[in-house]
Amino acid sequence: MVDTPGETRSGSQEFVGRRTDEWSECLTLIAAKQDRAAFTRFFRHFAPLIKAFALSGSSLSASVADELVQEVMLKVWQKAGGFNPEKAAASTWVYTIARNCRTDMFRRLQKFDTPLAEEDVFPEQESEEPFALLQGRRTQERVRELMATLPADQMQILAKVYMEGKSHAEAAAELDLPLGTVKSRVRLAIQKLQIQIDR
Amino acid sequence: MAKFHPELDLLTEHAAGNLPLAQAACVSVHLNYCEQCQRTSGQLHSLGAALFDQLHGEPVGESLLNSVLARLDDAVPLSYASTSQWSAGSTPAILQRLMSGDLTDLVWKKITSTLRISYLKTGDPNYEFALYHIKAGGRIPEHTHRGSEMTLVLEGGFSDADGSYHQGDFLLRQPSDVHAPTAVQSEDCICLAVLDAPLKFTGWKYRWMNPFLQLNTG
Repeated sequence: MVDTPGETRSGSQEFVGRRTDEWSECLTLIAAKQDRAAFTRFFRHFAPLIKAFALSGSSLSASVADELVQEVMLKVWQKAGGFNPEKAAASTWVYTIARNCRTDMFRRLQKFDTPLAEEDVFPEQESEEPFALLQGRRTQERVRELMATLPADQMQILAKVYMEGKSHAEAAAELDLPLGTVKSRVRLAIQKLQIQIDR
Repeated sequence: MAKFHPELDLLTEHAAGNLPLAQAACVSVHLNYCEQCQRTSGQLHSLGAALFDQLHGEPVGESLLNSVLARLDDAVPLSYASTSQWSAGSTPAILQRLMSGDLTDLVWKKITSTLRISYLKTGDPNYEFALYHIKAGGRIPEHTHRGSEMTLVLEGGFSDADGSYHQGDFLLRQPSDVHAPTAVQSEDCICLAVLDAPLKFTGWKYRWMNPFLQLNTG
C-alpha cells in the first residue's frame, strides 16, 4: 500500500548540495564509529518500511518478514561504509538492499541452487564524476516530487510492480485489465516522472 | 554502442527486481554494455525508492530490534574497495561468475559444423542460459521459438532478416518469430541466449532434430 500523495516524511527528502538529512547522518555515524544509538534510530524508522515491503504482495509470512528485516538491517550495519550521500538518499540506499534481499529470499524459499546473488545482477554504477552525481541526485529529487502528481490508477500499478513484485502480466490479471492497458499506464507514469529513455 | 535495447516494460520489471533470474542476468549483461539503459535503469530504480518511502510502515517489535543489536558484533563491517561494478570492455562480472573463469575455459557442445553451445547454470529451473558460438560466416539453421528467447551479442556479430547485431545488442524473440541468424564474415560470434522452451528447427534438413532438443535449465 502507498500513502496518498502530499504527505511528507521527516528527514529523508532534503537534497541541498551535500545532503545532511538525519538518515544519511546516521549511516555516516554507523560507518565511522559503529554507533549503536544511530543504528537504533535508523532501525526504528526503516524497519517498519522494510517489513511493509516484505509483506507487500504478502506471499511471505510475518515471521519470514521479520527475518528479512533482520537480514536487511544487518547488511545496513555492514555496508554503511559504502553509502555515499552524494549519490543517493539514505532511503534509496536501503531500498536497494531490501529489494535485493527480498529477491534472494524468494529464491531461497523456492530452493534455487544458484551461484548468483541479486547483488551480482545489480552492480554499483560506476560514474563518480561530480556532474553525473549531481544529475543523479536531481533526478531522484524530481521523481519524488513528480510522483505526487500521478493519478491513482497509475500509482496502483506502480505499487503492484515495484512493491508487490508483480510482473505487468500478473498486475493485469489481478486488476482484470488488458495487458496493454497496464503497460501504457506504466509508460505514462514514467513519462510524467520525466525518466530519461534515450534510444 | 548497443543499438538494440530491452523494451521499457522489461527494464521496469528488471529495476523492480521481478524478472526471473536467468532473464535478469541477461538484461544485466546488456546494461554492462549500454550506458543509456544504465541511466534509465537507475532512474527507474529511483522510482522504486520513492514508492518504498511512501509505504505505510508495519509495526516491528522491540524484541526484533534487540535481536538485531545482539547480532551486530558478529556482523563485521565490510570494507569498500571490492564491490562489483559495471565493466564495459571486459567480460561482464556476472558472466565470469557463471563461467567460473573466462570464455576460453568453457566446455562447448558441437551442434552443427558452425555452431557450438555451452550451457551455464544459473539455478533458474525454468530457463536455459547458454552461450552460442557461431563460426565467422556460419549460419544457425532456420528456427522458430516455442517460447520466448532473449539474445545478447557478446563478441562479433550476426544478422538475420530484420537487422544486424553487434556487441551489447539485445533481442527478445516471441514464439513464432522465425529466423536464421548468420554470423558476420569477419569474426566468430559469441552470444548469450536465454530460452524458456526449446528451439524448433523449421528447415527440412534439421527438422529431425526437434524431438531431441531439450531445455537445459537450472
